[in-house]
Amino acid sequence: MTDTTPALQAGPAPRPRSQFVATGFAVAAGSMMIAGSLALYMARRHASGPHPGHDWLEGHLVPNPQFDYALLTLFASVITAHWALWASRRGETGHTWTAIATTLVFGLGFVNMVMYSLNRMELEIGSGEYVNLAFATTGLTLALVVVGMFYLALMGLRSVGGNRGRDSSYPLGAAVFFWDFVAVAWTATWYVVYVVK
Amino acid sequence: MSESNTDASQDSAPAEDPTPFGWLSTADHKRVGRLFIVSSLALMVVGAVLDMLVRIDLTDASDFAALDASSFAQVFAMSREVLVLMFVIPIFLGLAMYVVPLQIGAANLAFPRAATASFWGWLVSSGVLFGAYLGNGGPYGGWTEGVDLHMLALAGMVLSLLIGAMVVATTVLTMRSPGLYLDNTPPFSWSALVTASMLLVSLPVLLGQLAIIYVDHRYGRLFLGGNFGVWERIDWIHRTPQLFIYSVPVLGVVAEIVLSASRRRVFEPLAVYFTMGLVGLFGFGAWANFSVTGEGRDLIDGVEGVILVGMYGGALLGTTALLGVLGFTLFQGRKGLKITTSLAAALLAGGMVLLAAALGLVGAGADWLEIAGRGNNGNPYLQDTTFVTGLQSLLIYGAALMGVVAALHWWAPKIWGRRLNEAIGLLAVAVVAVGALLATAGPALSGVLTEQPDFVYPDPNLTTVYDALVDDSGAEGYSAMGLFGVIVAGVGGALLLLNLALSVLLKRGKEAEADPWSAQTPEWLLESPPPMGEGEMADITSGTPLLDATEADADAEEVTV
Repeated sequence: MTDTTPALQAGPAPRPRSQFVATGFAVAAGSMMIAGSLALYMARRHASGPHPGHDWLEGHLVPNPQFDYALLTLFASVITAHWALWASRRGETGHTWTAIATTLVFGLGFVNMVMYSLNRMELEIGSGEYVNLAFATTGLTLALVVVGMFYLALMGLRSVGGNRGRDSSYPLGAAVFFWDFVAVAWTATWYVVYVVK
Repeated sequence: MSESNTDASQDSAPAEDPTPFGWLSTADHKRVGRLFIVSSLALMVVGAVLDMLVRIDLTDASDFAALDASSFAQVFAMSREVLVLMFVIPIFLGLAMYVVPLQIGAANLAFPRAATASFWGWLVSSGVLFGAYLGNGGPYGGWTEGVDLHMLALAGMVLSLLIGAMVVATTVLTMRSPGLYLDNTPPFSWSALVTASMLLVSLPVLLGQLAIIYVDHRYGRLFLGGNFGVWERIDWIHRTPQLFIYSVPVLGVVAEIVLSASRRRVFEPLAVYFTMGLVGLFGFGAWANFSVTGEGRDLIDGVEGVILVGMYGGALLGTTALLGVLGFTLFQGRKGLKITTSLAAALLAGGMVLLAAALGLVGAGADWLEIAGRGNNGNPYLQDTTFVTGLQSLLIYGAALMGVVAALHWWAPKIWGRRLNEAIGLLAVAVVAVGALLATAGPALSGVLTEQPDFVYPDPNLTTVYDALVDDSGAEGYSAMGLFGVIVAGVGGALLLLNLALSVLLKRGKEAEADPWSAQTPEWLLESPPPMGEGEMADITSGTPLLDATEADADAEEVTV
């Protein structure tokens, strides 16, 4: 009996997901950057006296509700970012730009809330060890947030402009991946600098 | 050409401007690679001269021979930064940018414009760093704003190198010709992937720390010691075990040249990849520089020694296994073996990495076990003495400079289309080897026998006026030996530059055909040098297409007979 099974044609070669891989490397590098700054923070905290962290706040009160709301806002923006990716993969332009815009508004709201919280703490840069450490570590993470917003906006525009569908959404997927990392980075910074103190 | 590569090149295939202005905006990996290589070689000269000035001062225990206290500390710091961040890392990054796409069948790098931005960002930051130093603004400097500028320039330089590393790593992972799997990638491309990945997870720690150091230094100088507190927190990027990460491309060059010279396959290719990864992996973690700053040392008291011994031991294991595998292959192919400059330099460079790992292990072991009272009764640990300088010299002059000699002799035909002069090359190899060993032996012996301090961080004055700190007066002699070694290694470097000028610039080198070495890897399928811009590459499914063809011919002849 002859074999009538048709020979399988080779599928198309996969597109190089260079942007996704590069974003992965950027996330690894960013993780180590945040870890490096928080490690130095913790080392200084450990060396700050017999009761690490108790004395160096020097009367500054951490406004916990505001920081908590900022964190929740960032988590909400992660959900809307994934909504954008989901919509882009399905080719739904309207959903995509709505979700991207919402994510960016949440991002701006987050930055605003963190700045407000720092103002509430009445920190004056250069006035103490904790203050300088808090400014440096928070500023570094906020810089990542701003980079993430630009990245998301740029890839969002590309998606709305035509890079959508299951096979063409990976640039937006890379930006959303970076935004996930930003949320994790802020959570770590918030926990170390404003919860553990 | 593969579909995947076509897609990528359509996204990023800017037309190349053939005029000199094209070098400014180039997106051709070959041009960016050349820019990195030539600039790094020029900056190597600066680094070596600065190192000589430092060592001249160390030959006189009673006073400063060439520099004053502030200048000595700054020149010391500058020499390290120039040799590591402006020579060792960028020259291998440039080589990777040039060679890797050719080896994996890619038309260009994954992000060619990012590669160009990486080069110009690095060069401009290097210029700003020099400016800060010239204005008395390096670590220990007297110009406060200059120290801030130094930190910004350092951050810019690290960020630029990280972008370049990201481009190289992404290229190896995603731009390989379909069918060329990672376990069949040429050794140098693999080593580039390992190094780039390890740089991407180690150097960002410095960025995070620099943010804090900068804020504290600029606003109040409250807790990091002001201008004197900067260096101890950034010095880890210039020391072992971090230096092993920078040495991995040297091992890639060694593997590439040795395998081609032996005209054989390695009996276990995965061993080559695994051992290179091992060396890179065990270089990771130097950023936890508790041994320098002392912060957190009490938390891991007793474990620190084990960790360092483990790191050096891992690097030694990886290097030994790799060189063993390569040595066995070379032994198998010993018939008709021709000693060229690149092979001699490669073998010596590999040996230098091995020696550095072994010395590092002995030093870390002596510190851990407190042999000869190390760490007690005023006897410093070896890691606080010039023993560290010896290891640095071995890896910078011995491994990296020798590796550069090997790599440039090997790939000069592909980069510039001409072969370098073999006689000058062999002379350079011998001179660099002698110089590197002397530059290592001087400070290493001084550290062991006289306990000459490597660098007294809180007070730069103590570093050179060390007569009260050492056990006997032998330190001056050992320092002179180290100085002589750097001068000799510098002459070796100058011979390499002379060779490049004669063979390439003055075009006295022999014009090279596509494959002048009977090599194995895919870049030798292309004409020498490949034309500017993105060229069509044949589909590559093997990391050794030329060897495959040779073996197929031999098999066909055997069948005919």
